[in-house]
Parts: sequence; C-alpha cells; structure tokens
Amino acid sequence: MSIKEELTKVFEEVFDEDQLELTPETTANDIEAWDSMSHVTMLMAVEDHFNVEFEQWEIMNLPDVGALLALIEKKTAKKN
Amino acid sequence: MSSSNIGYICTRQQCEHGLADKTALRYVDADLSRVDFTFAQLDAASNQFANALKETGIQPGDRVFLFLPKQPEVFFAFLGTLKATAVAGLLFSNFGKEAVYDRLADAGARVLITKQSLFKRIREIWPDLPALEKVILTDLPAHESDCVLSYSQLVDHQSAAFEVPATTPETPSVLHYTSGSTGKPKGVLHVHDSIHHQRLTMEKVMQIEPDDIFWCTADHAWITGTTYGIIGPWSKGITQVHYGGNFDTQAWFDLLQQERVTLWYTAPTALRMLMREEDKINGRYDLSALKRVYSVGEPLNPEIVHWARRVIGREIYDTWFQTETGAIMITNRPGMAVKPGSMGKPVDGIEAGVFTEEGNPSPANESGSLRLKKGWSSMFRTYVNMEEAYRSKFHGEFYDTGDRAQIDQDGYYWFIGRNDDVINTSGHLVGPFEVESALLEMEDIVDVAVIGAPDEMLYEKIVAFVTLKDHLEWSKRLEVKARIHVTKRISPIAVPSEFIVMDKIPKNRSGKIMRRVLKARYLGEDAGDISTLED
Repeated sequence: MSIKEELTKVFEEVFDEDQLELTPETTANDIEAWDSMSHVTMLMAVEDHFNVEFEQWEIMNLPDVGALLALIEKKTAKKN
Repeated sequence: MSSSNIGYICTRQQCEHGLADKTALRYVDADLSRVDFTFAQLDAASNQFANALKETGIQPGDRVFLFLPKQPEVFFAFLGTLKATAVAGLLFSNFGKEAVYDRLADAGARVLITKQSLFKRIREIWPDLPALEKVILTDLPAHESDCVLSYSQLVDHQSAAFEVPATTPETPSVLHYTSGSTGKPKGVLHVHDSIHHQRLTMEKVMQIEPDDIFWCTADHAWITGTTYGIIGPWSKGITQVHYGGNFDTQAWFDLLQQERVTLWYTAPTALRMLMREEDKINGRYDLSALKRVYSVGEPLNPEIVHWARRVIGREIYDTWFQTETGAIMITNRPGMAVKPGSMGKPVDGIEAGVFTEEGNPSPANESGSLRLKKGWSSMFRTYVNMEEAYRSKFHGEFYDTGDRAQIDQDGYYWFIGRNDDVINTSGHLVGPFEVESALLEMEDIVDVAVIGAPDEMLYEKIVAFVTLKDHLEWSKRLEVKARIHVTKRISPIAVPSEFIVMDKIPKNRSGKIMRRVLKARYLGEDAGDISTLED
C-alpha cells in the first residue's frame, strides 16, 4: 500500500468518512470533519500509524495533504 | 399577530420597510467566492421552506432540527421553521451520533435537515427515534423515499408567499441544548418574544447603523450564532456576512478586508489564535472599514485587548451571556471606558447582582453567585422535559447563572469562574459526565474522571484521569483510540487534551468523583478537606 493509500485509511478512521479520495490539494475545507480540534487527533493518528514523531515547527504550516504526505515521506525515509 | 414572529420580522417586515433589494446575506465560500441574497430573496426562500414543512404535515410547536455546517439553506430553513411556528432546534455539524441522538430523542424531533455526509450518523440512530418522520437532505437531487427527502425537490415547487400563522410573544421559537455538570444536556427553550431584547442589544451594544456590514463568526448552533448570526442583525435590516470555510488567519483577514466588515463579533479562542500568527496580519490589511470588534464565549484576557489596540487598531468589547439568557446581559460597549479583563456592566433594562451563599448582595470586590432579575424577553422559558431543573435555577425573582463574579467599586463586573463542574473550552460548555460516559464505553478503561483545567489557548482544557484494565499501559495508539471514540460519540470539542493514568480515581464514600481533589492535584494546589474521601 502506498503512503497516500495508508494516509487515506487513517483519514477515513479519524474523520469517520467511508470513501475519501485524497489528493495533494485536499485541504481542511474539503473534509467536513477536519477542523482545528480534529486536526490534533489526525496528526497523532498519523504519528502512530507511520511510527514517526512530528516536531511542533514541522506541523505549524501544513496547508494541504500534499505537504503532510511530503513530511511523512521525509520522516519514514529517514528511518529506513 | 405575525408581527411577533421572528421569521417574519427578519424577512418580510424588512421588505415592508423598503429593504427588499438590500443584501441580507452575503455567503462567502472557503475560496472567498460569494453569493448574495437580498431580503426579498431571504423572505421567498424561507417562505418556500415554511410551505414545504406544511406539506410534510408539520404542525405549530413541532420540533424541526438543523444538522448542517454553515450554508445558505441553514438560514432559509431556520427562518422558514419559525414562520411555520414550529420550533427550530440547532445541532453542531461536528456532533457525534450519541450527541445527536440525545438531543433529537429528548426533543421528539419530527423533521431533520442535514446533508448526505452527515446522514450516515442519522441512519444508525434513526430506528431508535420513533418521532423522527422525515429527513431532508440539502444535497440529494431527488427524493429517496417518503421519509428521505431532497431539499430542492421539496422546496423548489413551493409558493414564495406564505401566510405566517398567529404568533404570540410566548410562542416557542428556538431550542438549544446546553451541558450541565451531571446528566444529559438540557434543552433550553426560547420564545418569539426574545427578539425584543435581541434587537435592543443590536442598538445599545453593537450600536448598529444602517450601512453596517456585520460578521458573527459563531456557528449557528451556538446561541451566539443564532442570536447574532441570524436574528439580531436581520431584525434590524443589517447586511450579514457568513463564511463557509474553516478557521484560517489569512482567510479571515482577507474576508474582513474584502467585504469591508464594519462590526465583527468573534471569540477569545479565535483571537488568541490570530495573536499567535500576528506576522501574517501586521500591516498587511486595509481594515479601515472595521469600526469595532466584539467578543463572547469566554473571559477576554487583557492581553487580547491590548493586542487588538496595537495590531488591529481597534477596541474589543467583551460581552457576556448564556444559552439561557438568549442575548447579551453584561457587556462592554462604546461610550463606556473598557477595563481590560472585565465583563463590563449590565445592558439597559437588565438588573444583575452578585450574591452571597445566604442570598445577600456581596460587598464590592467580593465574589459571589451572579444572578439576573427575571423578566427580560429573551430569557429561556423552560428546560424541555426538565421543569424541576428549570425551577431550581431561580431564587425568588432572580435567575442563578451558575457563574461566579464580583463587582468592583465602579460597578464593573469581573468573571471569576463557574459554580459547578461544567467546562468552558473555546466557549463551548462541556459536561464532564458526558465525556466520562463516552470513555467508560471503551473496554480498556475501567474508571475515569474528567475536569477542566486552565489553558492559554482554549481558556479551559479537558483533562481526563483514567484507570486502565490490569497490565495495560497507556500508549499513543490508545490515546488516538480514545480521542476518536469521544469524537464519534460526542464531538471533537469534548476530546480531552490530556489523559493522565491513575491507579484509582478519588471518590467520596458515596462513590461521587471528587473533581475538586483531582483539580487541586493537577494544579499542584492544596486539595483542602479530604475527610470524605473513601479509603
């Protein structure tokens, strides 16, 4: 499964959606339940799923899914 | 008699006053594209919805609920429901299914208006809601069945004229639910007469002028969003801006500038988030149209007042009210010196006071229970199905707000805290019992206690103390599971910011959680008398 597919599963679980179609351009405005409160849960779920840790400064400006994907890719590549 | 009807006053009456072609609603999407609706269009769209409700068999007094994010249909359906003299109930679109169920079941809702993405939560609970006859979906192109209806198919063929039935000042109008320390949320029922005090505060507090552009950022399911994001401004013929996107510093300031907002009503949490991103704002925006900023929901820290003076160049006026009071009661306002951090003074016609436990007025600068003399028009009329709880809120002629405050030598009120365990997080009241009940449903958790603790951003954060099943260790996975569970059951607002694992939750000998002890321990303070602690 690609990182994007795995991230989609995490998003579906956190935001209680069945058939999400994430693109790099997807933002919080495109997903009903993605607000500032559920954002924290989503980031924790991502950290847990991919077994990575985000620094505060890394997640301050994540404008869209593309930026989050890039961050996950960077983190998981470092580990490998 | 329709002249008492909020729906009529906010639409048709404005047209009769010559404002038919004036923009009532400017709906701005997340990408800042906009669509305008005049008062005549607002009148027609709400009339069509009222006719549609009539067609579905809705009778005066029936409960019609809205479970939608901000979108134009919210306003049409809300005002149409009031015109039909049904009662409009409002639900936050981020509510989980348990929160939705509790409210719809208690209210005996007959009709629900929602959208497809949220309908999933309704399908699961609908079999247990025997009173709920119809669900109307705003994004369904055609009726799915006799019970699952398309908003457009239902409304489009309706007449744009509607004869508002006789409405007395005491006709029930709006139903909001609010959390208490214990038990399920309580249904706070208002009546059409509320509009008098709501209008008065638009005049005396907001000090509106005909050309004002008003932006209330509150969700319509919050009393602020209903009173000052729908009723108040339109009852005075004022143009309102509504934004359909999420919080975003740049988008909000783009909107303030682009729409030349003159009066902005928002919340301290939002202002604190803006403060944090000051560099995105400072000197970058033309806010020359903005006259004043108002705040509500939590006490406004003095730092925000000073920040606004420095960065936005405007005064922020803190206002105080509750779901039960229906409109602003105590407030800062133009023409009165602002003491940063103070609630201000009572609105004209409101008699407030701070009382000792014995029921005597507290001396100046000493805290006590904040009470309001009953009789203002926007005062709630009951807690639905909980008349005893309603009566218990009154001490003689005074409504007890449950808040503690003090009055200084100049007559300014200062908020101290709550008299109960209700948590005010980002302006939303959360009952600890609701969160505890949700967490206890998780098989990994055997006991739980929830408290509110001071927080720089949220005013109060939710802290959960949990006892885990034998040999289980707290982990990020478990925390994610708990957070998702609370979100799905209640809402993301109710998710604890912190989880603390304990061997045992402190309780008294009757088994009642001693939140006072937990709070003191959390804050590193003396827990005081612990003689009633079990073991």
